[in-house]
Amino acid sequence: MSELILEAGAVAKTFGIGPARIPVLRAVDLALAAGESLAIRGESGSGKSTLLHLLAGLDVPDAGWIRWGASAPDPARRSRYLGLVFQSFHLVPELDALGNVLLAARMLGAPDVATRQRAEALLGQVGLAGRARHLPAQLSGGERQRVAVARALINRPRLLLADEPTGNLDEHTGEAVIDLLVGLCAATGTALVLVTHNAAHAARCRSTRTLHEGVLH
Amino acid sequence: MPWYLYLALRQLFPAGRRFPFFTAISVLGVALGVGVLIIVTSVMGGFGHEIRRMIVRTEGEIQVKAKGLIEDPAAVLAAIRGAPGVVGASPFVEGPVAALAANRPAFPLLRGIDPVSVGSVAELGRYVRAGSLDELDDDSVILSWQVAEQLGAGLGSSVELYSPLLFERLKQDEVILPRRFRVVGLFEIGHQHLDSSLAFTTLRAAQELYGLGRSVHGINVRLAPGRDEVAALPAVNRVLPPGIEALPWTRKWESFLWVLNLEKTITAFLLLFIVVIAAFSVMSSLLISVVRKTREIGLLGALGASRRGVALCFCAQAFLIGVTGTLLGLAGGFTVLAWRNELVRLIARGLGREETLRQFYHFTDLPAHTLPADLILTVVAAVVISTLAGLLPAWRASRLKPVEALRSE
Ligand SMILES: Nc1ncnc2c1ncn2[C@@H]1O[C@H](COP(=O)(O)OP(=O)(O)OP(=O)(O)O)[C@@H](O)[C@H]1O
Ligand SMILES: [Mg+2]
Repeated sequence: MSELILEAGAVAKTFGIGPARIPVLRAVDLALAAGESLAIRGESGSGKSTLLHLLAGLDVPDAGWIRWGASAPDPARRSRYLGLVFQSFHLVPELDALGNVLLAARMLGAPDVATRQRAEALLGQVGLAGRARHLPAQLSGGERQRVAVARALINRPRLLLADEPTGNLDEHTGEAVIDLLVGLCAATGTALVLVTHNAAHAARCRSTRTLHEGVLH
Repeated sequence: MPWYLYLALRQLFPAGRRFPFFTAISVLGVALGVGVLIIVTSVMGGFGHEIRRMIVRTEGEIQVKAKGLIEDPAAVLAAIRGAPGVVGASPFVEGPVAALAANRPAFPLLRGIDPVSVGSVAELGRYVRAGSLDELDDDSVILSWQVAEQLGAGLGSSVELYSPLLFERLKQDEVILPRRFRVVGLFEIGHQHLDSSLAFTTLRAAQELYGLGRSVHGINVRLAPGRDEVAALPAVNRVLPPGIEALPWTRKWESFLWVLNLEKTITAFLLLFIVVIAAFSVMSSLLISVVRKTREIGLLGALGASRRGVALCFCAQAFLIGVTGTLLGLAGGFTVLAWRNELVRLIARGLGREETLRQFYHFTDLPAHTLPADLILTVVAAVVISTLAGLLPAWRASRLKPVEALRSE
C-alpha cells in the first residue's frame, strides 16, 4: 500500500455553548493514500465544510486526531502540503489570473522564473493560456474556478481539498472543472478530497462516502 | 519581495485599472500635509536665511570683542587676517549718539567703519539707496532711511552728533561742542532692526566722538564663502591675544533667532495636524477595507499566510500611502516654491495690492530656503504617522480567524 497522505481518527467538532450546542462532527475516520481520490457527500449543514476546514488545519477538532502524512497539521506547512478550492472561488480581485496563481507561490518566497513558467503552464492546462493578464472581474465563473484550481496546484501539494467547487457553476461548466480537478490530480499524483452534492461528480472519484449525523459512512 | 508587500502594492495600485478612489484620497491627504509643511517651513526658513544674509553682509560672520576696548587694533587685525578661513577683517566703533538736524532729534546707533578695510567684510554699498559710500569721510555720515526721516534730513543736509563723552566732560565743567556732519548717503538694508536706528561714519570720526584714541570696540570678520562660522571660530580664537574673544554673528542675534525659530516650530507643529488628520482618513479607509475584504483575508490564511503576514500587508499599505503621499507632497510643495513669486504676484495683482506688498516687505520676491533638517523631519514624520495609522487595521485583520472569514459569505 502506498504512502498515507491524510488520516483522521475519531474527529469531533461541536459549535456553540450550553443548550445551543450543535455537535456537527461526532466521530469521523478517514484515510487517503497518495494519488487516491475521495468524494464526500452529505446534506446541507451536515458538516462537510467543517470537516474540510479541520482537515486543512484551518480549525482544530475538539477530539480525535488528524495527520498529514507522518505529522500533525501545521499552518506553517499548509501552503506546501495542500491546496484548497472553494465554492465561491475566493480570488483576489486586484490580482490578474497569473497573479492569483502566483500568490500561493509567493507565500513560500519570491517566485523564480521556473515557478512563473509553471504558473503559466498551469493556466494553459486549465485552458486559460490567453487570459493570464485578465482580472477576476473579466472572467466568467467557470474561468475563475479554473484559476483557483491552478492556484491550488502551483506549489505541487500532496493533497487537494475542494469544497463544492461546482456549487456556483452551471452543469456544463461544472463538468469541465471536475474534469480538470480529477485529471490534474491523477496526472500529478495528488490526493483529492472532493465535497460535492452531485452524484455524477462523486462517481469520478475512486471512492465516495457520505457524512450523516456527524459520522462518515 | 515578500508576498504581503506585493499584495499591498497591488491592492493600492491594481494592475491595469485606474487609480482606486480610496488610494487617491488617502495619498492626497498626506500629500497636502507634506506640501503645506514644506512650503511654510521653506518660506519661514527663507526669511531667516535672508536675515542672516543681511546681517552677514553688514557685519561679517564673526565679531571679535574684548572685555573693554581693543587697544592695539593693528596687531589684532594682522593676527586675524592670518587665521585660516578668514578673507577680511575690519575694525569698528559702535555706540549710541544723539543726532539733531533742524531741531528734530534722533538717537541712532553710530557705527564707525574703516573705509579702507570695510569692503573686505561688508557689502554696505549694496544697501546705499541714495548718495555713495565712497563719499564717506571724517566729516560725513550715512543714515538709514528711517533715521533720516526722523531727522527730516536728506542728502546734503547737515546733522549734529552728540556723544556720551559730552556728558562726561560736562560733569568736569568742560564743554565740548557737538560735531557737525554732512549726510552723504542714505541706506536701506531691509531689516527692521538695522534700518530703524543705524548710522555710519568713519572709524576716525567715531573714535574722536567717543574719545577712544586708537582703540576700537570690535572687529568684524568675514569668512571665505561657504565656511561655517561655528567651525571656523576656534581657528580665529587661537590667534587672538588673551582677553579678546571671537563670537559668531548668531550670538549677538540669539534672542531674535530663537523667536524666529520658535515661530517656525509652532507653525510646523500645527500644520503637522493636517498629516495627522490625513492619517485618520487612511486608518478609516483601511478599516473599511478590512471589513470589505474579510473573505480575502480568510483566503490568505487558507493559502498559508501567517497572522504576522496579514498584519504586515495592511501596515505596508499604510506605509506605501505615506511614502507616495510624501513624494507627491514634496513634488507639489517644491513646484509651488519654484513658482512662488509668480503666484504671490498673481494674487497681489488680483487684489490690486502689488504696491502694498512692495512697501511692506521691502522685497518683491518671497524668500525660500529649505533646511535639510526640516525636510528630513517632515518626511520622517509623515511616513511614520501614516504607518502608525495602519496599526489598528492591521491588528483587526490579523485577528480574523480564517475559518470564520471564509464562512462570512
Ligand atoms: N462557527 C460556527 N458557529 C456555529 N455553528 C457553526 C459554525 N460553523 C458551522 N456551524 C454549523 O455547523 C453545521 C455544519 O456546517 P457546514 O458549513 O460544515 O455544513 P456543510 O455540510 O458544508 O453545508 P453546505 O452543504 O450547505 O455547505 C451547520 O449547522 C452550521 O450552522
Ligand atoms: Mg459547505
